[in-house]
Amino acid sequence: MIDLLNVPSLLTIQDLGRFGYRKLGVSTSGVMDEVSARLANYIVGNPDNAPVLEFLLAGPTILFNASAVFAVAGDVEVKLNGVPIELWRSYWAKRGDVLEVETLRSGLYGYIAFAGGIKCERLLGSCSTYTRAGLGRPLKAGDRLTLGYTLLTGKEGRVLPRELKPDYSAKEKVIRVIPGPNLDHFTDEGIETFLSGSYTVTPESDRMGYRLDGPQIEHSEKGADIVTDAVPIGSIQVPANGKPIIMMADCQTTGGYAKIGMVARVDVPLVAQSRPGERLRFKAVSVEEAQELLRRRERTMKAIRKAFEGEARAYKVSAGGKELVAFVEKD
Amino acid sequence: MVEFKPAGDSALVISFGEVIDEEINEKVHVVARAIEKASPEWLVEVVPTYSTVYVYYDPLMVSYTEVVEAVKPFLSAEPDDEKSRIVEIPTVYGGDFGPDIEFVAQYNGLSVDDVIEIHSRQFYRVYMLGFTPGFAYLGGMDERIATPRLEKPRLKVPAGSVGIAGKQTGIYPLESPGGWRLIGRTPLKLFDPRKDSPTLLQPGDYVKFVPISEEEFWELYSGGMIND
Repeated sequence: MIDLLNVPSLLTIQDLGRFGYRKLGVSTSGVMDEVSARLANYIVGNPDNAPVLEFLLAGPTILFNASAVFAVAGDVEVKLNGVPIELWRSYWAKRGDVLEVETLRSGLYGYIAFAGGIKCERLLGSCSTYTRAGLGRPLKAGDRLTLGYTLLTGKEGRVLPRELKPDYSAKEKVIRVIPGPNLDHFTDEGIETFLSGSYTVTPESDRMGYRLDGPQIEHSEKGADIVTDAVPIGSIQVPANGKPIIMMADCQTTGGYAKIGMVARVDVPLVAQSRPGERLRFKAVSVEEAQELLRRRERTMKAIRKAFEGEARAYKVSAGGKELVAFVEKD
Repeated sequence: MVEFKPAGDSALVISFGEVIDEEINEKVHVVARAIEKASPEWLVEVVPTYSTVYVYYDPLMVSYTEVVEAVKPFLSAEPDDEKSRIVEIPTVYGGDFGPDIEFVAQYNGLSVDDVIEIHSRQFYRVYMLGFTPGFAYLGGMDERIATPRLEKPRLKVPAGSVGIAGKQTGIYPLESPGGWRLIGRTPLKLFDPRKDSPTLLQPGDYVKFVPISEEEFWELYSGGMIND
């Protein structure tokens, strides 16, 4: 069990999301940055979908009431009993130990994974918090959480190689998008504006969506409104004011604004980790390219997971002046 | 007339045009149900809307073009024999439960009883669910009771509130802010995440509002759960 001593900002339990209920209006929710969350789970020996703690900007202070193995993912200062510890690395905490997670230096969401995951009521097949519909609630100081039971031995001291850590520090990020499906609601100039402009994330952004500011996107004579249809995560809606909104994990399942494009799934974490004031540029890719990028990412994720499970070894190699990590599977 | 479009790298849109039309919506639901029933292993979920079917799939198992080919046979699916359900929604009209009903009556030059009679006579089609859990986009409201939204939305609308916005009518499944003119409230729970079938209404259902008294409201309310 762990006690939350201090919760300075939005802190929720999330897994990879709630699927199968979008036709009834239930959002998928789930972690905003699945790469960081999944890596944190691998480090502590969990499966991809184990529930983790997601914090916005500033992390919590946690008291351990029993032994646990944990890892923190994000660009942030972390102390165990007042002593700074490493990120992306699993530690063994004893009863009475206190973990303090400070404020992220870059990125917007950080993750804390515990070996065995966090116990929670699964609603509609998922532990993801979806506050608007009363599926779980944001955590607050004084809350006590129960961790899942698992063998802790061998799960501490596992480190993600530095080369594999996600880096969200760029102040302007390039986001790949698949154009459509409502391109007929935009003029050619409007589409050109969208693909050439630089857009700033505004403070009116949350787990539902990121509102952007930048060059105004022109609609065609069909206008900004469509006959309401579905809204996948990563949808880039453009209402009548011409400023795009990127729909994120908690987005409503349907909507009536024309969608100029969809963020490629591999780049959704990049959007999620962009702070208000940071900028995004958009680059059009085909569905095939986006799917190939996703397959490539998943091969890497699988290799990392296998390396942590001891089924593969990771080696550092120099190539083209860069340090790379190579995985060699064991027989 | 049927168009296939990618909606990103993990969803296919089957579009039957951009219209609100009962026949097209029926087609949408037939196709959506057929794909769900077949449940190919790459399928994540299907979302039927007014005139499109969104097919969410796992791009690690199948490519976009393969999904397009795989769904084509379902376009000729026959309507199943299942009759559309008619879901009765007991509703208290007016009073504290429907504080805007007088405005709706005045705006349209009707009496409050006329509004109740006109609103509760229709069978409303559930074209789709969305926006928030359990919210049904209902079609078929009589335009004689059409009323514009509030100029300033309420900060809190109780769950179960029945309202009118322009030419639409609907029920708030959850307490939320909202700008619809409230004419009544149902004691039924429209969304219950602890049920396997978490929403009272399903796409393709028909809704019929049944006027009840305040006493009946509280009787039904104490049950408080979705009635199966």
